Amino acid sequence: MMIEGTQEYSLNMGPQHPSTHGVFRMVVHLDGEVVTKVEPKIGYLHRGLEKMAESRTYTQFIPYTDRLDYLAGPHNSLGYVQAVEKLMDTEVPERAEYLRIIFAELGRIASHLVMIASGSLDISGWTPWSYCFRDRERILDLFEMTAGNRMTPNYFRIGGVSQDVPEEFMPALKSFLEDMPEMIEEYYGIFFGNEIAQSRMKSVGILPKELAENLLITGANLRASGVQYDVRKAEPYGIYDRFDFEIPVLYGCDTYDRHFIRLLEIQESKKIIEQAYKDIPAGPVMTKVPKVLKPPVGKVYHRVENPKGEMGWYIVSNGSTKPARVRIRTGAFVNVQMLPEIVKGWKIQDLVTIFASMDLVLGEVDK
Amino acid sequence: MVSDILRVRVIELAARFNGEVEENLGELELTVDGRYILEALTDARNFADVPCDFLHDLCGMDLGDHLEVVYQLSSLRGPQRLRIIARVERDNPVINSVTQIWKGSDFLEREAFDMFGLQFRGHPNLKRIYMWDDFEGYPMRKDYVIESHEQRAVMRVRKEGE
Repeated sequence: MMIEGTQEYSLNMGPQHPSTHGVFRMVVHLDGEVVTKVEPKIGYLHRGLEKMAESRTYTQFIPYTDRLDYLAGPHNSLGYVQAVEKLMDTEVPERAEYLRIIFAELGRIASHLVMIASGSLDISGWTPWSYCFRDRERILDLFEMTAGNRMTPNYFRIGGVSQDVPEEFMPALKSFLEDMPEMIEEYYGIFFGNEIAQSRMKSVGILPKELAENLLITGANLRASGVQYDVRKAEPYGIYDRFDFEIPVLYGCDTYDRHFIRLLEIQESKKIIEQAYKDIPAGPVMTKVPKVLKPPVGKVYHRVENPKGEMGWYIVSNGSTKPARVRIRTGAFVNVQMLPEIVKGWKIQDLVTIFASMDLVLGEVDK
Repeated sequence: MVSDILRVRVIELAARFNGEVEENLGELELTVDGRYILEALTDARNFADVPCDFLHDLCGMDLGDHLEVVYQLSSLRGPQRLRIIARVERDNPVINSVTQIWKGSDFLEREAFDMFGLQFRGHPNLKRIYMWDDFEGYPMRKDYVIESHEQRAVMRVRKEGE
């Protein structure tokens, strides 16, 4: 409803704007400071990964997959290498399977920590941000000592992992796991229990369950809207069926719950890593695969639960050394569509909070 | 592992639309003509006992002589998985939009339009999503020529008087 004598105006937010967490642009239509409409504009980070995959061999494409969701590199490669392994019917050694789970879940914790950190920064909470980044640093150190890279480890290979972890990895992982309960308590105390954070986030940006399903939202955003669905349980890949963990679900559907569910998921990831740490066997980390990979003609669709949503890999092989088609379904790309639906009627500072709660990473949105 | 009941439903569906059913690597695949896609997807969504009611992915595919639109269906309440492939002509790639069934297919269809030039009939806002608006050609098609860096005219040359 417009007040007489006023007019709606549009405002460009981004692509270079601190609250858009990357190169995301939105055209915001405003009535005063109330948002009436938002048009997301994406593509500023589009690198054409699907096209690139067609001109590279199966092995050469692995480093690119890390650059999709660059905050949780390992899980992207996990989806890709498992899809190719399914196509080639390759067995992976036990130790490699466990190392993959440890790395993938560490990546999930790192990604969720960044989400909580930037979410608090968007409502001017600097201290939680520094706490989360302090602890994420320890995960990146674990990646660095194993694979040499911090954010994009490029650790997984078709048929295993590139090398065994160094001696100092397991003690460092153990001490990190021991410190985690205290860290989680800290995040809760300083951010989630904080009165300002609660009043800024509770019942803001409601995404009802039916709308979420119709918009094809996946991942933690869907679980915060009351749907208990996780690919790790529904269609276990790798060795996820061996671990005992829960799928957290919240029914608030609001910005607060979308932040809080990440904290609960960190706790579940911790449980998985602890079990993997306890059970990990000794042995080889790489199976024998031919130097030149030529998967048989066929198609495969493989789903994994990425920290940002469900990721799907549709790989079509024509029997040559290069794939005929690699399709990457990323969760964040589809999740962008919830933004225009849930910001209507909220003020522009709430738009920033709601945007943070969607947990987008532009590497995954733009591919 | 495809459940028998899902297989029966898919074979029934294939008989109605003259489609082909294939099964490889434990995945069920139904290929139909692009004209019937809306009916086929609506039916798959309402399968008794095994509804495939969640559109996981929608993407284009270039087969050289024709194009394909690939729909990956699943469900949030069961293990059923199904892939439906719709064949469309290369010269006239028109297919019905599924935005009326799943609102979230909006971006996925825009991407398929951007990359393959697939025209989705009934889409509310069919515009390029990744590439800029005056970009020419459809980059994911197999006949798209990738120019070398030197030849590429990424910088727009200013017209006189601009």
